[in-house]
Amino acid sequence: MSASYSPADIMAVAMARLIRDGEVVFVGVNSPLPLAAATLARRHNAPNCTFISVGGGINPTVDKIMAATSTADLGRGSASIFDNQEIYGLNGRGGFDLTFLGMAQVDAKGRVNSSFVGERDKPKVRFPGGGGGPAILPMSKRAVLWRAGHSPKIFVEEVRFTTSAGNVDRIVTPLCIFRKEDGRLVLESIHPGVTRAELAEKTGFRIPNLESAPVTPEPTAAELSIIREIDPDNVRRVEFGLQ
Amino acid sequence: MKQMTLEQAARLVANDQIVTIGGTLSQRIPAAMVRELARQGVKGLHLIKPSPGFDADVLAAGGCLASVRAGMTTLEQPFGMAPSFRRAAERGELEVIENACPAVMASLQAAAFGLPFQAVAGFEGSDVPGVAPFATVKDPFSGKDTLVVPAVRPDWAILHVHEADVRGNARIYGTPVWDRLMSRAAKRVILTAEKILDTSHFVAQPEMTVVPELFVEAVVHAPAGAWPTAVFDCYDIDGPAMRHYLELSRTPDGFRKYLDETEAHDRRPMEVAA
Repeated sequence: MSASYSPADIMAVAMARLIRDGEVVFVGVNSPLPLAAATLARRHNAPNCTFISVGGGINPTVDKIMAATSTADLGRGSASIFDNQEIYGLNGRGGFDLTFLGMAQVDAKGRVNSSFVGERDKPKVRFPGGGGGPAILPMSKRAVLWRAGHSPKIFVEEVRFTTSAGNVDRIVTPLCIFRKEDGRLVLESIHPGVTRAELAEKTGFRIPNLESAPVTPEPTAAELSIIREIDPDNVRRVEFGLQ
Repeated sequence: MKQMTLEQAARLVANDQIVTIGGTLSQRIPAAMVRELARQGVKGLHLIKPSPGFDADVLAAGGCLASVRAGMTTLEQPFGMAPSFRRAAERGELEVIENACPAVMASLQAAAFGLPFQAVAGFEGSDVPGVAPFATVKDPFSGKDTLVVPAVRPDWAILHVHEADVRGNARIYGTPVWDRLMSRAAKRVILTAEKILDTSHFVAQPEMTVVPELFVEAVVHAPAGAWPTAVFDCYDIDGPAMRHYLELSRTPDGFRKYLDETEAHDRRPMEVAA
């Protein structure tokens, strides 16, 4: 039996499943879905992971996820406060096993542009900037990228400016999961209910194994139950512009 | 006497100076001081901060900024990108010095420790070092190529804290984000504080003091001085007030109205310390 679930649900669950027990996991700013994923993982599939929040907490108590993940509320329940210098010090020492990083654009080689489109001194579109990405992506043992949108403007053949590149392990979207293989993105799985034609149409690069990749396993009742418990107000939908 | 009004403290900041501003994105931003800088019409500021948000947006809306050296500039969810900052950047009205949070941090760390530059980890495959003030030097010990960034010493660190005394000692609860570093990197510090407390409060637990009086030029009593951004354990982000700001700040006239509307909240008569 499959319960009903939203694109935000399958994304949060897919990201949680990528967290392995015992890993040191970093969740930064602007990250409600990774926050839901890390919280789910600690309660379900990776209870012994160490979750470090940019809000200052090491394994903070998260009763409810929030939209603004830089909040100092993500230091509550933590036995120490880890400020931003500590976070980047640990990154520089290679201390992160898994980092979640948002992005504006990504290309077929897994290179991220979160900086600008057009001319640098007078860009057509100014993006927020890469945050810690340029330093984290090469240093974190694995990085999971995500974006609550999927279009040819986001998934492009080649970015014109590479803000960050490095150890991209998976990219989670509302339609699918990509993984990097031999320096190129290939399809890990396509989400249930998404057609391969739709995925091809909404992706700006050719997906080599479009037809043969499996379907993403559906969220289980247990996973969905935890997601709803930690996010009864559906804050996770905010990344889809739905709040 | 370091305690002064918001207007007096804002006048310390001169055109074309380098400023770093405490808090992050929409968290513990010294918003009253930032609005006052815009009210007073300061121009040509160079903002250096790993993760600006509401501060960069207000200063961009006010035409106060010449450049922003940042890793990421956004109001964060649920408000999205800082629209006035974005508009000014897209029009070429301010220079965006493409960067990364830990590289901006390293520039401030070098300044804080009196060093000319600092090495940074990562950046392999990134185009950022090619378009920003980065250099590659040979590590004299290992012979390996090493990426470095220059020290940047702000004229001012402007910080909003939970508690201060009139001498300039300050406490922050929850994560200090980058504020401790900023207070050491800058030449002088301007504090706005939710509460002004007696020095004995700080002497009782000196290890809790994030900023010592030694570095501080000005102390302003500014209750709700970070509004509409959040202060840990005091108030959360004021969503309706943030949306009201976003609506008004679309136009110069609207932004002027916003500054007028918030003036009474921001400017308070100075209370005589007990």
